[in-house]
Amino acid sequence: MIEAKHISKSFVKYEKEKGLIGMIKGFVNAKKVIKKAVDNVSFTIQEGEVIGYIGANGAGKSTTIKMLTGILTPTSGEILVDGIIPYKDRVRNARNIGVVFGQRTQLWWDLPLVESFSILKEIYQVSNEDYKARMEMFEDVLQLSEFIKSPVRTLSLGQRMRADIAASLLHNPKVLYLDEPTIGLDVNAKLKMRQAIKTMNKTFKTTVILTTHDLDDIEELCNRILIIDNGKIIYDGALSDIKTKYGSDTKVSFVLKEAWTDFVDLAHLMEVDPKDIIVKVDEDKLEIGFDKRILSVAHVAQVIMKNYEVTDLKIMETDIESIVSRIYNEGKVNVSND
Amino acid sequence: MKRYFEIYLKFLAQHLKRMLQYRSDFLIGAGSFLFIQASGILFMVLIFQQIPDLNGWSLTEMMFLYGYFQLPRGIDHLLTDNIWLIPTKVRRGEIDRYLLRPINPLFQLVIERFQIEAFGELIVGVALMIYTIPLLNIDLTVWTVLLGLLFIILGSLIYTSIKLITASIGFWVINSMPIMTTVYNIADFSKYPTTIFPKVIQYTVTYLIPFAFVSFLPATALLNRSNGLEILLGSVIAVSVLSIAAYRLWVLGLKSYQSVGS
Ligand SMILES: Nc1ncnc2c1ncn2[C@@H]1O[C@H](COP(=O)(O)OP(=O)(O)OP(=O)(O)O)[C@@H](O)[C@H]1O
Ligand SMILES: [Mg+2]
Repeated sequence: MIEAKHISKSFVKYEKEKGLIGMIKGFVNAKKVIKKAVDNVSFTIQEGEVIGYIGANGAGKSTTIKMLTGILTPTSGEILVDGIIPYKDRVRNARNIGVVFGQRTQLWWDLPLVESFSILKEIYQVSNEDYKARMEMFEDVLQLSEFIKSPVRTLSLGQRMRADIAASLLHNPKVLYLDEPTIGLDVNAKLKMRQAIKTMNKTFKTTVILTTHDLDDIEELCNRILIIDNGKIIYDGALSDIKTKYGSDTKVSFVLKEAWTDFVDLAHLMEVDPKDIIVKVDEDKLEIGFDKRILSVAHVAQVIMKNYEVTDLKIMETDIESIVSRIYNEGKVNVSND
Repeated sequence: MKRYFEIYLKFLAQHLKRMLQYRSDFLIGAGSFLFIQASGILFMVLIFQQIPDLNGWSLTEMMFLYGYFQLPRGIDHLLTDNIWLIPTKVRRGEIDRYLLRPINPLFQLVIERFQIEAFGELIVGVALMIYTIPLLNIDLTVWTVLLGLLFIILGSLIYTSIKLITASIGFWVINSMPIMTTVYNIADFSKYPTTIFPKVIQYTVTYLIPFAFVSFLPATALLNRSNGLEILLGSVIAVSVLSIAAYRLWVLGLKSYQSVGS
């Protein structure tokens, strides 16, 4: 359904120097800075897949989405969405896709929501029967009727987001792009949003690409994730694979009776290589991170308790959150050390 | 085409509904335009108390020209005012949405706003036409009426095209507002007989930024001071060149549009 071949996108910025002289200099000959937001990215997505596209702030997620939707033209590389080059054939591509940018509504600010829908119906030429059926489905999942007569500008963030997702689905698009669709939503609204996405995907085999910083979204919805870092794809595969790979990461945190000041070599005490443990100290708090396959929790606890007086202790298994945080920090996914 | 028409009607209905809802806003807006126009006319009347005619133009003819000027300007203002916002929308990344729907982006942009205050200009224009035409030696034949209407349509297109050209500069220049307002203000020369201005200005508004075709030249044609066909031909050429250039520039702008980080 979607094929991206070696796409890159660079933004040109003109750097200004400080001060009056800098300003004049900049006027004559500004320093050109090229920022590669997306760097040689390739992937293929099949019909009906739900893809989680994740990465740290500024990694290049939204830029990729904008190229896929046809807003931006790649600096190099090629994209095909259902056989159409989105940035060359925008109108034809637009019929096939639904887009939600969580940051900004696609609806008409001053129009009552119901009018926005009726205009979208006209734009996408949705038949009366389809329109009715879909509005009923949206009502079931997203409960729009409580605010459907209000102008979009008066909706709360959660209401607006529900409205936006409904609007993006009105014409039953083949591909749905969601850029942070759950940003700022409360727990219930998030559930509704996920429900809507699931329903569409199940019923119509809608292909979904979703960027989010809420990893519960990913766990709930996606069978495959793409991780982007600094414009480069660093992981493309199942979420479960990453979990097994990094799931053995464990942390034990201790609260000591006195501040930790003697800086002994803990790795030595535990008889492991120094790079196998991560030690974090904050006055009387000591946190040790390690791989369960190398060290056992019992052994770590034993060593620490033998050497210090411990008042409290907590064991933390890895959740997806910390796995991803670790991947973002490292900037790569280690596939080798199995 | 039918789809576009229906979408347009839907927006129009909404705009009118809102106009009725915020009646006082509309009255204040149109009223202030009326006031500006009235002071413009008063100014002219005062000048003509000192002099019998201006470069061969009587007060009535001047008022005809002034009123005729308001019509294309009012139509352009009424229908396509949202073009002014292109530079702002580019800067804020708000062009994104127009690229995501399967209809012409410029059409989407334009229909979002209906500048009802423009009725202030249109009312003044029509009133001055009604007042001055019987006093002037204009034969109201089918030809002159048709010519007059045609000039109004072509004139609005000149306005819109020039506005679109200057607005599209906003795709490449961060602050393009000064360019837009400067060019737009040049149109004011066409409120008066351009022959009273220095040659440089005459040439500029005839050949470079052809606002003279919006009202001054058509008025000379309607007042039988020039050859209507020649002016019409000039106007058609001006509109063709400008509108094609404007639309090309806009499309080029969309191509190099970089959106904003999000
Ligand atoms: N229109 C633009 N002009 C210049 N630079 C841009 C533009 N859009 C994005 N960038 C830059 O490209 C990089 C990637 O931005 P992008 O918006 O794709 O990040 P993201 O992964 O969506 O981040 P976030 O999680 O914060 O939304 C950033 O460094 C950003 O500053
Ligand atoms: Mg983003």
